[in-house]
Amino acid sequence: MTLVSNAGSLADLQRAFQDYLLASSDGFSAAVRDTKKIDRVTLLGVYRDAYTLRLIEALTIDYPGVMAMAGPGDFDYMARAYIAAQPSRHPSVRWFGKGLADFLATTPPFDGSPAVADMARFEWAMGEAFDAANAEPITADVLMALPPEVWETLTFTVLPSLHRLTLTYDTPQAWQRRDEQQAGDLEVEEAAEQTDWVIWRPERLTNYRSLERDEAVLLDALIEGRPFPELCESIVELVGEDQAMARAAGLLRVWIEGGMLASFAH
Amino acid sequence: MVAENVGFGLGLRPEHFEEIAASPGKVSWFEALSENYMVPGGNPLHWLDQIRRDYPMALHGVSLSIGSIDPLDKTYLDELKALAERVQPLWISDHLCFTGLRGMNMHDLLPLPYTEEALDHVADRVRRVQDHLGRRLVLENVSSYVTYAASELSEWEFIAELAKRSDCEILLDVNNVYVSAFNHEFDARTFLRAMPKERVRQFHLAGHEHRGTHIVDTHDHPIVPDVWELYAEAVRLFPDVPTMIERDANIPPYAELLDELDEARRIADGVRGEAAQKAVA
Repeated sequence: MTLVSNAGSLADLQRAFQDYLLASSDGFSAAVRDTKKIDRVTLLGVYRDAYTLRLIEALTIDYPGVMAMAGPGDFDYMARAYIAAQPSRHPSVRWFGKGLADFLATTPPFDGSPAVADMARFEWAMGEAFDAANAEPITADVLMALPPEVWETLTFTVLPSLHRLTLTYDTPQAWQRRDEQQAGDLEVEEAAEQTDWVIWRPERLTNYRSLERDEAVLLDALIEGRPFPELCESIVELVGEDQAMARAAGLLRVWIEGGMLASFAH
Repeated sequence: MVAENVGFGLGLRPEHFEEIAASPGKVSWFEALSENYMVPGGNPLHWLDQIRRDYPMALHGVSLSIGSIDPLDKTYLDELKALAERVQPLWISDHLCFTGLRGMNMHDLLPLPYTEEALDHVADRVRRVQDHLGRRLVLENVSSYVTYAASELSEWEFIAELAKRSDCEILLDVNNVYVSAFNHEFDARTFLRAMPKERVRQFHLAGHEHRGTHIVDTHDHPIVPDVWELYAEAVRLFPDVPTMIERDANIPPYAELLDELDEARRIADGVRGEAAQKAVA
């Protein structure tokens, strides 16, 4: 316990106050006064409660799908465990929930419900896409005008908002139903097999959709910065040598038309 | 007040973005919460830029942590400066408090002990922040629920002395004065009268939650009659200071806040009318 005298230094008092909020020590109560109307412990409780409730509120805003799955009681329990494990270290509460999916996936008892971690991963990626840096997507006509020899070394970048996810559950489908049921009743089915997803925001609206396996492999290779011939190679095993280039070119067109690519270089 | 009185403003809240953009001219200015726009892109900055084209704007932060014993957060200050370059704000404000230490953020406005040591510490940091931003900082009095036994000065003495030593300005939150006066059993008017007239840059008004034995500054209710009365006194003392209503939770329709702002206008006009009559008499 941190003991603080009435004449504590600024540093002592701040340390004791913060420890009180983190519920790691009650020593700070010796440093403040009762009022005529009420005792100091009740008054300090205003700060201690507000600290937790504010962070729970931030998680509630960022994770409506997790709330729909867990219900208020379990969500509150989960949020308090996360707050205790990972106090906020960012000036904006906007980023507080960043580690929730990993926390849920690796911390008992939450690791026993992997669908919830899946939902958290999807929702955080949606949030990151929402206010990621803007970029003007490239258009097909610019690419079509390139001379053929350029394609040998052509590389691309995706929009800053683009996220690739591989999910085990039908999380995005369930997320669309998050407001239709009472909180706690949202059920998320395990997918027949792991599914690849992409999230991106070409303008102000965030898009997401599932990817075929070859499309996911090709997109991952593009994100790695590999040139067009290597992109084609990356899907040979999946589509066959004779189809690889046509499929790669077709998917590039789909991504460009969908506003997923930010730039190219050669 | 030497600076221009920009009149009556509201807090910029995402719930009202579209309505504000669709019906310009209902308020004189907006106050944007700095941290909400320290993001790379997307909707928040889209609306900020669009609304800024139609309105003057102030930036109001919650995480400067000017009183903390942690070193000043250089990354935060750089982001704030970049945001200020984008917005070209009327002024930049934050709170006279600390929000955490050891790199953690409690996301709360924690009061400081009002001691000489704290005064020296905060004044030095204010000067450094002002140097970094290239402008005066405006600091707001916070609502508080506890009084440090170690305090040697009253809150109003501390603020007045800080403004003098650091050359900062004051965001006088009338609701916070009311809340703290009730909680710590001091006279709110004594507080107001102690504020150096030339340094009061802005008023805040807000609602709170009365729990009988203490008041919690929740910003989720309309402004109560006692705070309106104290506001009238504040306008009597500082007649040319811009006013703004802060609502952070339980956000009502835009029209409801406009009505509340009309009440502030009515009170301020009344007070200024009284003053003009006295001058004529």
